[in-house]
Amino acid sequence: MLLDIQVMKPDDYVGFTFFIGYMAMFAASVFFFFERGSVSDKWKLSLLVSALITGIAAVHYFYMRDYYLATGDNPTFFRYVDWTLTVPLMCVEFYLLTRAAGATKSLLWKLIIASVWMLVAGYIGEAFNPEGGDTAHSVKWGVISTLGYLYILYTAWFGEVAQLAENSGSATIKKGVRTLAWFVLVGWAIYPIGYMCMPGGWLSSVMSPSDVDLWYNIADAINKIGFGLVVYNIAITESK
Amino acid sequence: MNIFTFLFVVSTYFLFLIFSSFTEISLESQILFASFFILLIGIPHGAIDHILFFKKRSFSQLKFYSIYLGLILLFLLLWIFFPFWSLLLFLLISAFHFGESQFSDIKAQKLLRYSLFPFWGIALLSTLMHYNLSEIIEITTFFEDTNDLKIIYNDFLILRFFQITNVCTILLLFLLAVKRHINLDRFFSELFLLLILHITFYLFPFLIAFTMYFVILHSLRVMYQEYQFLKSDSDLFDFIDFIKVLAPYSLLSIFFTALIILLSYWSFIPYSIPLVSIIIISVITLPHAIVMHIFYNE
Repeated sequence: MLLDIQVMKPDDYVGFTFFIGYMAMFAASVFFFFERGSVSDKWKLSLLVSALITGIAAVHYFYMRDYYLATGDNPTFFRYVDWTLTVPLMCVEFYLLTRAAGATKSLLWKLIIASVWMLVAGYIGEAFNPEGGDTAHSVKWGVISTLGYLYILYTAWFGEVAQLAENSGSATIKKGVRTLAWFVLVGWAIYPIGYMCMPGGWLSSVMSPSDVDLWYNIADAINKIGFGLVVYNIAITESK
Repeated sequence: MNIFTFLFVVSTYFLFLIFSSFTEISLESQILFASFFILLIGIPHGAIDHILFFKKRSFSQLKFYSIYLGLILLFLLLWIFFPFWSLLLFLLISAFHFGESQFSDIKAQKLLRYSLFPFWGIALLSTLMHYNLSEIIEITTFFEDTNDLKIIYNDFLILRFFQITNVCTILLLFLLAVKRHINLDRFFSELFLLLILHITFYLFPFLIAFTMYFVILHSLRVMYQEYQFLKSDSDLFDFIDFIKVLAPYSLLSIFFTALIILLSYWSFIPYSIPLVSIIIISVITLPHAIVMHIFYNE
């Protein structure tokens, strides 16, 4: 194992954030898992989901880190596998938080389908883009993917999730759901921006794919751990 | 983020998609786009000023219409004799009105409110001008009678206004948040909106950018406020009733606006269509802004 060790330059910020991302996700996962004991029963599942989100991401970051060090390329495949598992789980959090206020299974499935739709279209747009980048391909799949994103954004800010949080009668849930909605609006916005920076994208002249990796790593850590911490805060406050 | 900001973001995204497939958007297409949406949504938002005014007060109708039409006439005369000052006044009134409609719900000291309204409005207009200055000058110099107005579009002055008013707006919003007049959610929503406005004004040509702001963020928002106000008296009052109230006055306003523009097109009025359009919008903005100011204060 030690013989396979890779050399990393001190100014390799992408590699650095892969390491930091991996450790931060892993630590967050352990934290959420052990903190399940500090909250009341109805919030244990929410914290388990938070632990799963960061745990799945940690495993993928472990692979992505090695893949990046060995090849220097974007680990697009691993990223999308990670997102396809963790983003629907983040949508599950919305359902779990508003379940007490009457959230239905149909809301859960609508959010899961929208998130998978968003990611599958994004993956096709990014991974199957012809060599050198085709703008038409990038834009077409980008738009299809954005429809899923807009649906989740609308639901979190004004739709069913927002209304359920409003009717929950809990200021903590209301505030927490609104904070998560901010994550969806600002935190998740980094992904379409990153997508547009890939070859063939609108912003491909602005940022190189390796810079995109840097932003993806930072955004992933903030979004996933931040999402979990908001849920943790709600669970702790509501358990008192 | 409120629903109007969401609509604005979605529209910006899809319009950018559409427009990015063209290498250049002709001025004719821009005018067509702007005219269609301003006539459809922009004009109706100010068409029921009299209904809003008389809804909860007894006031002489003759007096109201005399003042309303008198202000229009007065501003018209000002335009004929002092076009430069009229444009300046129009921009200032619009800035205040845009700011007031954006923050009408905020309860704070008068000084704070009346500082925020013009600062936000001037930040909006100077940002629009800053990113599109060469285009505005090009449009202004294209017609002989609008040529004299280009003096107002001084790049140094606009840059200073752009910098100062944007910074002051953010500081005032921060102050409102510190004094707990707005919560953090509202504070960040307003910052987000400012960011989106900057992106939109940077990406789109002047007419398209202004129309998007004016229609979605201003007119639709004001119409919603008007709808809520009229609905406050009766739960049975619904969206169809609102359209029924709005339609006749809107059609009347659109008819007269179109007629005046046609008169200019047929050279019955000795002013170019762009100048006539600016004059029409400004003369109806003055009494509208006053009525809305009274409306918001009550």
